[in-house]
Amino acid sequence: MEITEQLKKILVEELNLEDVSPEEIADDTPLFGEGLGLDSLDAVELVVLVQKHFGVEIKDMDEGRPALQSVATLAAFIAERRSK
Amino acid sequence: MPPTEGDRPAGGWSSRSVGSNWQHRFFYLLIRLGGRPVAYGFLRLVILYYTLLRPDQRSKGLYYLRRRFPAARGLELLRHSFRHNLALGQVLIDRAIVGILGPGELQVNFPAGPRLKEILAAGRGLILMTAHVGCWQVAMAALDDLETPVHLLMKREPGDVDRLYFEHGSGERPIHIIDPEGEFGGALEMIAVLKRGEVLSVMGDRLLGSDRNGVAVDFLGAPVTFPFSAYKLASATGAPIAVLLSRKVGPAAYALELAREISVPPGLGRGGEGFRPYAAELAAGLEAFARDNPYQFFNFFDMWSAPPPAAASNPTDTP
Repeated sequence: MEITEQLKKILVEELNLEDVSPEEIADDTPLFGEGLGLDSLDAVELVVLVQKHFGVEIKDMDEGRPALQSVATLAAFIAERRSK
Repeated sequence: MPPTEGDRPAGGWSSRSVGSNWQHRFFYLLIRLGGRPVAYGFLRLVILYYTLLRPDQRSKGLYYLRRRFPAARGLELLRHSFRHNLALGQVLIDRAIVGILGPGELQVNFPAGPRLKEILAAGRGLILMTAHVGCWQVAMAALDDLETPVHLLMKREPGDVDRLYFEHGSGERPIHIIDPEGEFGGALEMIAVLKRGEVLSVMGDRLLGSDRNGVAVDFLGAPVTFPFSAYKLASATGAPIAVLLSRKVGPAAYALELAREISVPPGLGRGGEGFRPYAAELAAGLEAFARDNPYQFFNFFDMWSAPPPAAASNPTDTP
């Protein structure tokens, strides 16, 4: 499974997003605020989930800011880190 | 934990400091000139004025006092109000004394220090949960003993005239402040702190913003809304929580006591329900504290009403 699809599944199933299925999430939908409506508590969980499922650590704001914009940016971040 | 864009403060309560800038400066001057005895002496007059002639100010403490002393009426309630406000004034002065004259001016008994060092040695960091009781800033000053960097989740409001204890001097800040209104509510910073095995200090008894991150627990006979974010952070990162409460035990003496150690398992879900038992543990600890130290509980708003106070995680208005 592609990273984007895997991420969408994790978002819905492990963050317990209601009223949305993985297929309904567009790659460029913002994760926070308007978009999927994640909040700071979800950010904590998402960082931990990314490490658990992909073995990739988001260490600080410099990494987190661009990575946590959308599913696409997060998937790109994960792919880039895994390729190193 | 702090809001992101989706969360906005609700209700009209503000945690902005009581008193104007010159009133605070006047007390700082009294401390410099005459130390604690002079400042305490003048404080009694100020508190008498507020208790007798400022019902608007007195009423802020009555929400709690009526729960803590349900049978008290009339003069008895007025006496409780005087003692409650006096206790608050004294710890505010003590806090300023630590900043102006140095931590050596107060004796802090910190028997939990070795236990907290043991917890930190496990390398998972430590969420140090405090509450608006006693003098939390004196507690923070004593955390030097842990020999580990301490980070404090704290929001300052425009208009705050009261200073944190370490803002009286010009030296290096002993505590790093994480802004709950920063990006992702400071979440990434907090995770990084815990991953480095350091101390993250949070307030467990006030909710910031909407009740979305709060859970109802019983406190002094009726439900209040406490935040569950610290428990969620603990659940996600595996960091242990230590509830550390300070109390004034003498004119220049405080005790800093480990009220609870809380371990939160992973996988408790997105909502607050799974975290309710842990918030209830804190409520039980605070209830025991309020029973033993009735005048050292410093939440001056109606905790028992909904919605919760706006921006109430700002600890600068209390000790």
